[in-house]
This record gives sequence, structure tokens and C-alpha cells, in this order.
Amino acid sequence: MASEKVLLARVGRKDSRSIETYVEDGGYKALRTVLTGGWSPEKLTDEVKKSGLRGRGGAGFPTGVKWGFVPKDTKGKPVYLLLNADESEPGTFKDRLLMEEDPHQVIEGMILSAYALKCRDAYIYIRGEFYLGARILDAAIAEAYDKGFLGENILGSGYALNLTVHRGAGAYICGEETGLIESLEGKRGQPRIKPPFPAVHGVFGSPTIVNNVETLACVVHIVNRGAEWFAKIGRNEKNTGPKLYCLSGHVVRPGVYEAPLGLPMKELLFGADFGQGMKDGRKVKAVIPGGASAAMLTAEEIEDCPLDFDGLVAKGSMLGSAAIIVMNEDTCIVDAAKNLSKFFSHESCGQCTPCREGTPWLLKVLTRIEAGEGRLEDIDLLEKISNQMANGMTICVFADAAIAPVLSSVGKFREEYRHHIDQNRCLVGPRSAVPSSAPDLRPSTFDLRPPTV
Amino acid sequence: MSTPDNKAPAGAPPATPPPPPPKDTFTVVFDGAPIEVPKNLNLIEAAKLAGIEIPHFCFHPRLSVVGQCRMCLVEVEGVPKIQAACTTPLKDGLRIKTTTDKVIQSRAANMEFLLINHPLDCPICDQAGECKLQDNSFGYGDQRSRYDERKRQYAGFDRTMIGPHVIADMTRCIQCTRCIRFCEEIAGTAELTFLDRGGRTLVWTHDGKPLANDWSACAADVCPVGALTTREFRFRKRVWYLRKTPSVCPGCNIGCNNSIEHGDGIVYRFLPRLNPEVNDYWLCDYGRFLSESLNLQEIEKATIREKEEVRDVLVPVAIERIAQRIRETIEGAGPKELFFLGSANLSNEENFLLRKLADHLSCGNRDVVVDKSRVRRMKSKTAWIEGDHAAANYAGARDMGLSPSDGGASLEDVLNGKLAPEVIVVADGSFSSIGDDEEKVAVLRRAKTLVVLARTTNALTRAADIVVPAASLAEKEGTFTNVQGRVQKFERAFLPKPPARPHGELLLQLAVLLGFGDRNWTPTDIRRQIQSEVEGYGQLTEKELEGGILMKKGDFVPVGGL
Repeated sequence: MASEKVLLARVGRKDSRSIETYVEDGGYKALRTVLTGGWSPEKLTDEVKKSGLRGRGGAGFPTGVKWGFVPKDTKGKPVYLLLNADESEPGTFKDRLLMEEDPHQVIEGMILSAYALKCRDAYIYIRGEFYLGARILDAAIAEAYDKGFLGENILGSGYALNLTVHRGAGAYICGEETGLIESLEGKRGQPRIKPPFPAVHGVFGSPTIVNNVETLACVVHIVNRGAEWFAKIGRNEKNTGPKLYCLSGHVVRPGVYEAPLGLPMKELLFGADFGQGMKDGRKVKAVIPGGASAAMLTAEEIEDCPLDFDGLVAKGSMLGSAAIIVMNEDTCIVDAAKNLSKFFSHESCGQCTPCREGTPWLLKVLTRIEAGEGRLEDIDLLEKISNQMANGMTICVFADAAIAPVLSSVGKFREEYRHHIDQNRCLVGPRSAVPSSAPDLRPSTFDLRPPTV
Repeated sequence: MSTPDNKAPAGAPPATPPPPPPKDTFTVVFDGAPIEVPKNLNLIEAAKLAGIEIPHFCFHPRLSVVGQCRMCLVEVEGVPKIQAACTTPLKDGLRIKTTTDKVIQSRAANMEFLLINHPLDCPICDQAGECKLQDNSFGYGDQRSRYDERKRQYAGFDRTMIGPHVIADMTRCIQCTRCIRFCEEIAGTAELTFLDRGGRTLVWTHDGKPLANDWSACAADVCPVGALTTREFRFRKRVWYLRKTPSVCPGCNIGCNNSIEHGDGIVYRFLPRLNPEVNDYWLCDYGRFLSESLNLQEIEKATIREKEEVRDVLVPVAIERIAQRIRETIEGAGPKELFFLGSANLSNEENFLLRKLADHLSCGNRDVVVDKSRVRRMKSKTAWIEGDHAAANYAGARDMGLSPSDGGASLEDVLNGKLAPEVIVVADGSFSSIGDDEEKVAVLRRAKTLVVLARTTNALTRAADIVVPAASLAEKEGTFTNVQGRVQKFERAFLPKPPARPHGELLLQLAVLLGFGDRNWTPTDIRRQIQSEVEGYGQLTEKELEGGILMKKGDFVPVGGL
């Protein structure tokens, strides 16, 4: 089922980063259409609303509706547009591809969106580790200024926009929009209390819209080919448009794939144009469909699972950033949960008690089980700790994300946990063999020294 | 609406009721009981008005709301998820539930999370007894913990002085950020910050600079646990043995309201006492650590110098001797040869009594002086207040009439040699730095009789002919008038150690011997006289004095708004 590539159309083309090839391929046409074709910002917002475009960053909130939250009267305050390029969800690498291979598509999408928001200063918040991406974007922005797509009086329309790249300092939580705003202001990256929402009181106290890279890239194509065209792509009218899927794990061909929203999971894993099946002929054991914060799905659950926002919610998980992580039958699920918990324990910002204390606690219990020192009551304990961390207990939804892999793995692979505790070893995988020495003498994988600060 | 009193009089046209004035309160329903609360309150404060305690750690009435500790969780009707009370904006018709199972479970969950890494070192922790973590654990926590892992430790960040007064122990910290917000928002110096993140988060000084602002010990005050304690109070007393007496700081003329915390006649510390108009929730380090000075009683006996020989006498004997010298002088050279020096360290009542005594003896030679000190600043609820006098009651001493009258001489005249009195009565030996100035003391020494009432020794007491031991601020009651003209009462914490007596009592004994006053007068009796005689003090009432909120004259103009 090879479909037309939209977002990735230019990836792989020679000199895809340069503005010359971008213009040659029809780039900045959408900008011309809007700025010189008499489109009002409201018309552009309406077009995006009609397209049904939903945020590609994780939450899947309708983009046009979000733009509509900016107050009509901003009381003299400027409106800011921030591009969330802090792509740090484990397993996600789609925005990086867009920024590194086709930066002008992203920039054009940003200029269009900024126009819709009547914004004069926009920022690209890129994660600190994307050094290459930041350099490429900087170069591309310089080109765009040269050609008059940025700066004062863009294309003679009188519209002016300044675009700045800001590199983060390496924190997952800065991908949360209010955490990102704090970080951009030069503060410690930790989420703010909502309300007030950023659309009313965001960066520097002004109305602010934060959008994902892929979301704004879509805006270019909505203008070029119309909202109706965009809305027709996808499984249903609630899940529209092309989507980038980041496939990783034990498949033959991992990578970023573009497909209409609602692509069946089986197709992505086994399709000839996509993952091409499991590596070494193993079986699927579990799939994380939306990055580390999404609940795991079992092999049975992925049988008829459309990869879109509502399809995965129906399965008790979420599309998130569309990072599909596939685990084969040799994966120890306790080890996987521990690995994910280690990530969340490391990345919790530390302001709210349940998350600050709960994430390391989960990690310690999982580490103990993995090291063969588990107790049967630990299984219930994991669930209980998780349940008292989330659902309003904290300021942001980080804790809800952190418990997803734990709760789903305990819920769906309870027997494996039980086996691990009973037998002091993994059910499957390289560490499943009966240890030659006494089990409790096996080296612990967890460093029990006090944390260094 | 259905009240019976709105019946229109017969025959009159039915009057349309005037539109109700816009409410300046919200109606909030706590657990089914509605209550009117002012609009500018936080939900936690509003609940307090309704008599409902919402447990919290990070919320502080004068600091910004961060909603981090997650202890104040409540259910808000119409909102599916549980909400932090401190971050829930008040609005009309808000319905809050604080007793549901969900709320109780969430609080217990939070307590469990807070305690998993908190050391169980209450027996050696100074905060024990006034620890919010203890209180809330007892009130809302589960007594069992399911945590069976290693507790977190902060090697190198425990029991460390981070400033001249504050000792930090990060293993006890619950990351509520009150101290960080205090330094940033009240002191304006922002020495403290969060380092690292997640379970490794800790509060420390930024860039290793010390926590050395003028109010640094307030960071320990706002700390709900024992993570920040003061060097001065550490390990000195279990707090449940401390008794608290409302008092006023003697450090400068701002007159911050404090609480003398004492036991067995020893002052252990000062804590701020809330007065939004003066010092709000705060005390400066200088004033706070004057507490130790109240324990100093260097003058332990009355002494009389006779022919270069100093001998101990009983206090009544010393006072009798003073009276005798005054009588002799009046009979001889007349009252112009007497000089009375009041003190800005003494209460209005004491200074008033001294002035009345001088009046009684027809002596116009009286004065009060005070050192100018470094400007001290204190943030009230709404403004910065500046004080620049090294004692608490200069304004009051002046109000009581302790200035030269009827062509009388001032202290300067005496020091210049314009007047060489036969008897000089210094009501407080530590009235200013003059008491330590050998040259000036030598001038005063020229008097035939130099009388000093004092608690601490200095050049003046060493030179004096008659020294009478006097009591400390903690050992007497009275009122001070601060830089705003605000009359504030301080109370007696404990009795003076014999034979020391409060200055006022000594002066009264002297006055009685000289034929003025009644030996049964209490400070309250003298205050009544002040009310009837001193301009501006007429409206003082005992009840108002308790709160220390009475303004004597005019409206105080604050030094710069917030």
C-alpha cells in the first residue's frame, strides 16, 4: 500500500536542505498564496480547522482550535509562536528528519502559522542534542532572510516575522509546552500551573502557541492542496492527514515512514513498504505505540489496531508521538519496564512530590525484581504506587506518562513478573538460563551508591 | 428576599428595590457549608475562615503559589481530577470537598511519598515539635510505609552552613521551595536555587555564594521541616519546652513584633510574630539574634563607691542613697544641679516616670539620646519600612517629654561643660555608645554623684558612684513607639533574677522616696497617666495594644511601595 509521500517528498533528494532546490520543488508557494493572494489570518486558521489537522506532538489536539484560543484582544501584548522541536520522547525521530533533511518546509510552515496568529516573533526550541539540526535550521533561516521570506515586509505584503533558533539544555520535560516556555525564558525547565494556559499567558507573559514540527509542516500542504484534500487522507474525519511513524525495535527495517493516519499496525510492522516483518523470524511480544509514555500493547491487541489518535485510545493506549517500539518474544518485559522507568526517573523535573519520589521508587522496585530480589507483593506495590502518582496528583502529565509502561506491563504480563520473582530470573532472553551460582549472588544492575550531585 | 421587613407602607407606590451593591466577597461552599470569603484570598486561607484545615507545605500567604507539594489536594465539584487547593482560583459558587475518600487517600499517598526518603531523625532534629511533616504525617498519613529500599542521601549536602546563620541538611528537605521563594520574592537576593532534578533535586546556594541577606534566618522560619535550621538555636532546646511571650524587637525603631521563646528564665530565641503593618511574617537577622543578649546580666549587685572603694549593697540601700544625694543637692545648690538622662531602650512608661520625677523636683535638665545606626529595612505586607535608630523607643521617649525644659540643659550641654551637675541619674547605662566613650564618661564623672541603672557593664558603670542592677526586656512589660508612631506593647516573659528589678520599678522606688507616686503603681497605671497627659496617646486601649496596631498620629508614609 504505497501512498504518496507528502511530508517526506523531498527527503533523499540531492541538496534537499538548500532553499534553491526547495523553491525549485514548489517551495514557498504556499507562503506566496497566503501573503499575496489576499488570505486573511482568519481564513488560514479556518482552513486549518477544516482540514482536521491534529497536533502531531502527542496530545492530538486540533491545531486550528488551539490557534483560536489566542484572545481576540491581546491588550497590546505580542503573540508568540513557539516550535516545539524538543523531540525527546524515546523512540521518536521524525521531527529530526524533517528539520535536518527539509528545513525549509518547517520554516515555511512556521511563517504561515505565525501569519495566522499575527505573530511577529517566533522561536524554534530545539533540543540541545540536535546540534546538527540547529545548525541546519540556522543556515536555512539565514537563506530565508536573504530571499525575503523572513524579516520585514515579507514578499511585499507588509507582514514581518523574526525567527530565532533556541537550543535547549537537555531535559525531556522541556518538551512539555509550559516547561518549554519556562526554559525559553531562561528559567529552570519545569511545567507551570494551568490555568492560565499558554494561549492566554505564555512566554514572557504573552499569548503563546506551541506547536510540533510535523504539525506546522502539514500547514504548508493544507494551503497548497486545500483542506478538503487533507481531510480526505486518513481513516476517518477525526483522524486526517499524512503522518510520520517512527518504527524501531526488533523489526527488519526500522525507520521513519509516512502513511495516512490510521495505518493498520500490522501493515506498519509487516508491510513490504514499511517494517518488513520481525527480525530473525521472531514473534511479536509487545508493542509500544506512542513513545515511552504510551501503554504497551500485546501481540493480540495489535491484530486490528489502526495507528491513529482515536484508534489507540480505544485500545487503552495512545498515538503520542507515533513512536512504535516493537519488542520480540525474547524481550524480558520486566527489563523493558525497568529501562523505561529509569528514563522517567532521570527526567522527572522534581517539583511535585508524587512524581519526584514515585519515579525513583518504581525504578528501585523494578530493579530489585530484575536483579532477582523481588517479592510477590511487589507486583501489587508497583500498581499501587503508580495509581497514587497520576490523575491530578501532579502539575503536569509526566507522572501519567511515567506509570504507563509500568501499569501496562504489570497488567498484561503479570505472569512474567510472577515468574521473575519466583525463579529469580527472566522468563525469556539471554538471562533466562538458571544461574550457575546462587541467584542472590548475581551482580546487581543497579548502583546503590548515594546519588552524586 | 422573603424577609418580612420589606413590606411597603400602605398607599405608597411599590418601590423597586435598589440593585444590590456589587459583592466584594465570594460564596464558597466547603463540604456543603457556604461561607462568604474575601475575593483576594487563597483557597487554603478561605478554608481556614470556614474552620477547615487543608494540610499544605509549599503554600505560604506571602509567597507566590507554586502548587508543588501536592498536599493540599481537594475535590472541586465539576472537575473530574483531584485539584491542588492552593492553585484553584476562588470564584463564586465554588464547591469544595475536603473529606471524601479520594481526598483522604491522596493526602495519605502524598505523605507516603514525602516520607520515603525523609530520614527518621526526629529525635535529633531541631524542627521536631514544630514540624509540618510531623504534624501532617500524624494528621493525614498512614502509619505504615511500604518503602523498603534505600533512602536517598545527599552526601556533602548535609549539616552544612550555607550562610552566617543557616545550616542546611538536604536529606531532610521536602523540596517545597519556600526558602527559594523567600530569598527571591521578599529578600530580593535570590541566593537559593534548585540544583539537579527529579529525585536528586536539592536546594542550595547559587554558585556557592553564601545565604547572607539581612533576613537569612527567615529562610529557616519558612522551612516546614528541619532542612534549614539556625546555627544559634540548633541543639539548644526542644521546642515543646519553650514558652512564648509576645514582645517587640529591641534592635531598632522599626519595632518588629516578635515572640520571646524562653524556658526557665532563659531566652532561647526570637521568632517573628505576625503583624502585617510592621514586620509581617519576618524578622531581620540582627534583631532576631539579639535574643541571646537578653540573657546577659553583668550587673548582678547594687554597688556604691565610697572613697575609691566599691562595695556591694542591697538595692533599697542604693536607692535610698540616691534619694539622699538628690535631697541634699536640692537643699544645697537647688534642682538646677540635677540631671536626668532617659533612654530609647526604655519603655514609654519608664521614660514617662523619669520625666514626671524630674517635673516633681522642678528640674528641667533631662534628655534622651540615641545612636543613629545603619539603616535597617523590613518588609511589611505592603511596603518597606526603614529604621535608623539603634534602639526601639526614641520616638516614645521624646513623646514622654524627655527634652530639656524651662531653660534646662541637654546632654550635650553637660558634655560641653555648660552645666556641671552635682547628681547625674542615668536611667539606662547602655543608652548609647557614649557609655563606652571614656572621654565623655570622664566628663560625666565630674559630677559629685553619678548614678547608673544598668544590666551590662561599660565605661559608664565602671565609673559610676552608684550602680543598680536592672532587668532585661524579657523581664518587664511596657510599650514602645516605633518609627511609624505605632505604640506597641511587649509583655513580661519571666521575672527578673534578684536583685535586679525593671528600670521602671527602680525609678518608682526612687520617686516614692522623693515624695512622688505610689509604690503600687504598675506599668498599666502609668500607662493610664500617659493616656490622660501625653498628646496623641489618649486613644490607647489595652485591647488595641495587644495587637500592636494602634497608630498614634497621622498616617505613616511608607518608604517605597511594593
